[in-house]
Amino acid sequence: MSGSDVNTPRNDWSRRDVLKAAGLTGVGILAAPALSACGVGGSTKKPTGKGASDVKGGFDWKKAKGETIRILQTPHPYQIAFQPLLKEFTQLTGINVKPELVAEGDYFTKLNTELAGGSGTHDVFMTGAYFIWQYGPPGWMEDLNPWLQNTSATGPNYDFEDIYDGLRTSTRWDFKTGSPLGSGGQYAIPWGFETNVVCYNQRLFKKKGVKPAETFDNFIQLAHDLTNRSANQYGVAFRGSRSWATIHPGFMTQYSREGARDYTVKDGKLEAAMNSPKAVAFTKKWVDLAKASGPPSWTTYEYPDCTRDLGNGNAAMVYDADSATYPKNVPGASREAGNLAWHPGPAGPDGNFATNLWTWSLAMNARSKQKLAAWLFIQWATGKEAMNKAVSHAAFADPVRKSVFDTSFKQRLNNFPGYLDTFEKVISSAKIQFTPQKKFFDTTDNWAVALQDIYSGQDAKSRLDKLAKASTATVNA
Amino acid sequence: MTTAAPGRQREQRPPSGEPDRGGSLRVVPKWRRQLRPYLLSVPAVAIIIGILYPFFLGAYYAFLNYSADNPHPRFVGLQNFKTVLGDSAVWHSVRVTVEYAVLATAIETVLGVGIALLLNRSSLVGRVFEKVLILPLMIAPVIAAVVWKLMYNPTFGILNHVLGLGHSFNWLSSRNALFSAVLVDIWIYTPFVAILVLAGVRSLPKEPFEASDVDGASWFYMFRRLMLPMMWPYILVAVIFRLMDCLKIFDIINVLTAGGPGNLTTTLQVNAYQDSITHFNYSRGSTYMFLLWILVFVTARFLVSVLGKAQRHAAGAEA
Repeated sequence: MSGSDVNTPRNDWSRRDVLKAAGLTGVGILAAPALSACGVGGSTKKPTGKGASDVKGGFDWKKAKGETIRILQTPHPYQIAFQPLLKEFTQLTGINVKPELVAEGDYFTKLNTELAGGSGTHDVFMTGAYFIWQYGPPGWMEDLNPWLQNTSATGPNYDFEDIYDGLRTSTRWDFKTGSPLGSGGQYAIPWGFETNVVCYNQRLFKKKGVKPAETFDNFIQLAHDLTNRSANQYGVAFRGSRSWATIHPGFMTQYSREGARDYTVKDGKLEAAMNSPKAVAFTKKWVDLAKASGPPSWTTYEYPDCTRDLGNGNAAMVYDADSATYPKNVPGASREAGNLAWHPGPAGPDGNFATNLWTWSLAMNARSKQKLAAWLFIQWATGKEAMNKAVSHAAFADPVRKSVFDTSFKQRLNNFPGYLDTFEKVISSAKIQFTPQKKFFDTTDNWAVALQDIYSGQDAKSRLDKLAKASTATVNA
Repeated sequence: MTTAAPGRQREQRPPSGEPDRGGSLRVVPKWRRQLRPYLLSVPAVAIIIGILYPFFLGAYYAFLNYSADNPHPRFVGLQNFKTVLGDSAVWHSVRVTVEYAVLATAIETVLGVGIALLLNRSSLVGRVFEKVLILPLMIAPVIAAVVWKLMYNPTFGILNHVLGLGHSFNWLSSRNALFSAVLVDIWIYTPFVAILVLAGVRSLPKEPFEASDVDGASWFYMFRRLMLPMMWPYILVAVIFRLMDCLKIFDIINVLTAGGPGNLTTTLQVNAYQDSITHFNYSRGSTYMFLLWILVFVTARFLVSVLGKAQRHAAGAEA
């Protein structure tokens, strides 16, 4: 060691120097968001991975051989039915699939956070149509239309038109306020779907000597007649939790059948119509029905609560997704398995069967780095062959393809009385009954809050006026 | 020529921080000396990254109009605060948050102190109960809330069955929901208060109590004039912990009611979560969090000052 090493005390940092360095580091970190003030968050980064136009030559399932994709899913009959088939996809394409499952209660929280953070961790994810209205505008989802149109990327047997029209339309939008669904990009491919109809306990119906109601007023009376609180039995279960999910199944279906709308379009702007005379009259009846003949803890009820009560024999009817009640009739799945039957539910005053639908779809993360592999997976999972297998060998209900529904699925419906008739009755009127808009979750959550307020005793008209005013302001902001 | 130049003197001094052992210099390698300031600043940098960075980022978002459908936000000044503070629903949330926090903390404190005093009497039952008492603390609050939600269910829940309330009594109705949520909080956290206070009680000096006993003081007199002032700082520590935690309540309410019926159990945290995560309005959610931070900060400052006074008072009682 030279003397100069010992003789250079100014090389040692003073406490002030250390603090200064730490401060500068902190300022640097804190300045980062300020410097990026024009583009906060990862969501604004440009999409990565090759696009559809980069795929050339003839179609070949092996084009992305050796790649690995990650898919984000929620445990669901659709996912469960496909799980054993994943190895067949790997054999067909040479692509490895790493699925990740997140419980439905937390699924969209995780997905929202991941997409908003600009992460390309998952190449493919399950989603519903309403989420396209939220994920699409910031550019988080890949437009799949170019992939569908590219014959180098899409096989000749794919037959996209075989998927029910209402479902293809529901996953397509141009993100313009007031513009209907069916125009713009194809942001997801429908995979499975649900129509919201009535499922009832036919053993109980026979015992009471009653039949499903054909009008809403009769439905209210029927539910009342089937309610016996002291025997722990009530007429009809439907969702009532403080969430948009309360509005979209039975409520929105019957709301539409009664001729009410959520929004009207005026001069290119949306105007909330939840306070129209028809809407107020129906909402009041619906909430009264919940009080008189619904679940005692209605404001916490989600679909598993409804179907559980139906399966246990506590609820005589459920007004919810057909595919949610379907598993309860599978032998051994519930106490009332084998006793359940389906009905379209009350028709509207003019006899219409307008029905709101939900479609679980597969979408591609715009930030995916393996877009071709991701597209091949979506194409395979929504293709005829794999869907036929999922329906034949597992509990995959309501396949989105007409060819699969008419063959494999119909064969499974022998022990599900009324299921097919109900489906055929409503399918031509089944579509997304909501007006597409970018603040769907905000405004529709508030709609559920309004229902709960009315349930708690607030006046329906004034509460819905307040809701409509707030919703109009939010969607046009 | 002078014999001892300042430079020479400095040369003989050992490097800073190194003791001069018997006149021999223990030389520290240069790279270690240069690395030392960086190592010393690691905790500060960790705090900046782990705590201050998200805090300032959140505060920064509160001054933007950042949402999913507006990924290119701009600075909007106090607009979010004006909007949020002008919304009567927000003041309702503040009221619910404070009601929840005060109610839960008060009941937990009273019950916790009572249990601690009972457990302080050494007995077999007390020793067994002491161990069992901490079980609720070992369950994640979100899981406890899910279990309680099942127990509250009027159709099949055990509470209505055991209490003979039939199938119509709704624990989560507009009238009962807030209290039912507080009840879950009490079940989970009363043991926390009890254990904290029990530790405090057991650390109290015996001499003042023995002297009072000799003087013939009653149990109540000793409790009121000796024990309570001396254990007051421990009670206050428990109150501070619980109040801060309750002001931030999210998990129990989100599981039980999601803020409903209507907005009757919507706390500031529930609002912030729903706006940021469910409704993709990051700036509005951040504004809620900023307001909550102010509420927690002011309350904590006040309670800490009270704690200081209590500690000085207790020291006086002990002396």
